[in-house]
Amino acid sequence: MSSVGLMPRWGHRVTLVAGQGEPRLEPAENEAGANPMTHVLREDEALAAGCRAGELRAYERLYELQGARMRNLARNLLGSQNDAEDAVQDTFLKIQRGIGSFRGQSSFQTWTFRILVNTCHDLRRSRMRRNEQVRKEREDGPPALEPRAPGASPSLRLALEQALAQLTEHQRDVFLLYEVEGFRHAEIAGLLEISEAASKNTLFQAKKNLRRVLGTPRGVEAGGAP
Amino acid sequence: MNVTCQDRERILFDGSSEEWAALERHALFCPGCEAELRAWKALSLAAAELRDYREDPALWAKIESSLRKQEPHGDFPRVVKERLRFWAGASQAWQTALVGALLLLLSLSGVYLLTPPNRPGAEQNTFLKSSALAEVERTEQQYREAIDRLAADAKPELDRPVSPLLASYREKLLVLDSAIDDLRVEAGRNPSNAHLRYQLLALYQEKQETLREVLETKP
Repeated sequence: MSSVGLMPRWGHRVTLVAGQGEPRLEPAENEAGANPMTHVLREDEALAAGCRAGELRAYERLYELQGARMRNLARNLLGSQNDAEDAVQDTFLKIQRGIGSFRGQSSFQTWTFRILVNTCHDLRRSRMRRNEQVRKEREDGPPALEPRAPGASPSLRLALEQALAQLTEHQRDVFLLYEVEGFRHAEIAGLLEISEAASKNTLFQAKKNLRRVLGTPRGVEAGGAP
Repeated sequence: MNVTCQDRERILFDGSSEEWAALERHALFCPGCEAELRAWKALSLAAAELRDYREDPALWAKIESSLRKQEPHGDFPRVVKERLRFWAGASQAWQTALVGALLLLLSLSGVYLLTPPNRPGAEQNTFLKSSALAEVERTEQQYREAIDRLAADAKPELDRPVSPLLASYREKLLVLDSAIDDLRVEAGRNPSNAHLRYQLLALYQEKQETLREVLETKP
C-alpha cells in the first residue's frame, strides 16, 4: 500500500492514489534517504531572493512553478474561475508588497499559499457581503444529493463541490490542500498556522462529513461491525 | 497484525501502512468495514476530479501588468535595491560597523564644510588672490601717477597747441583718457578680470607714448 509520488514542474510532490484509491501516507515522514526536496528548497530560496530584489523574472518563475496549482486551489475555494484568477493576481500583488516582511520562517511556497488562502477567504467574504443573493443561496444550502458512490457518479465533480460547500471553511481548506493539492500535514500546519495534529484531525472530520453528505456507496449495505 | 471494527476509526484517522494493510484484510470478511473503507478511498479518488492544472498564459500577462504598475510605488527603485542587495547579506556586526563608519565620515565632512575661516589652505588661497590683485592695483596706481607727472610736463604745449600736430595729439590724449576712464570703471566692477587689466595697460602705454611724442616736439 504505497502512494505514488510525482515531481511535477513546480517540484512539489503530488500524491496519486493507486488502484481503487489508497490512503495517502506521507513518505517524507516515513521514508529516509536522499531528499529531492533539497533542490526544491534551494529554488524556493532563490525565488524568494529574486522577488525580494524586485525581479519580474522571479515572479514569472513563481507563476510557472505554482500558478496552475494556485489557480486550481483558488477555484476550489471560491467556486468560480474568474474569482480564482482575481485571487491569484491579488496574491502576486500582495507578495510584491509584502516580500520585505518575509523572514524565511516558513518556506517561500508555504508563505505564498498562506497569502493565497487568506486572499480567497477575504474575497469570498467580501463578495458574500456585497451580494446578498449569493449569501442567501449559501444559507439555503445545496440541493439534497442522491445517495450514491462518488466514483459511480458522472457528475462526480459537481457532487463533490456541493458536498464541500457543506463543510466548514477550515475543513474545506484542509481537505483541498491535502487531498487535491498534495500538501503534507506539516506543510498545511505551517500554511494555516495550526498544529500538525489539528490538520490531521480536521481532515478526518472533513472526510467523515463528506462521507455523510455524499451518502453510502451504491450496492453497499451500511452494515455494523462483524 | 490483527485489527477489529473498533480499530477502524483510529486507522482511518492516522493509521500506519501496516495497520491499513491489516484493515484491508479485515474488510475482506466484514461488509461494514469494507463499505466504509471503499467510501473513504473514493473520497481521495474523487478529489482528483478537482485538479485542473491547465496552463493560462493570459493570466500571467495580467499579473505582470499589475506588478509593473505597482512597482513604482515600492520603497526603492529596482536599481537601488539591486545595489543594496549586499546589505541584506551582511551580518549585524558588519551592518553596525558600516553604519558607524558612515556616520563618522558624515560628521567629519560636516565639520570641514562648516568651519571655512580656520582652514589654513583656504586662508592662504584668499591671501594669494587678494595679494596678487593688490600688487596689480598698486603697480597700476604708480604707473598712472608717473604718466600724470609726464602729462603735467606736456600740459603747456597741449593747452596752447602751436601746430596742427600738437592739436592732433591733444585730441588723441582726450580720447585715450576717456577710454582709460571707461575701462577703469569696468575693471572696478571686475577686479579679477585680467583681460581688462591688459587692455588698461595697453591704453596707459599708448598715452605714455603719445606724451613722449608731445614732449619731443618741444623746441
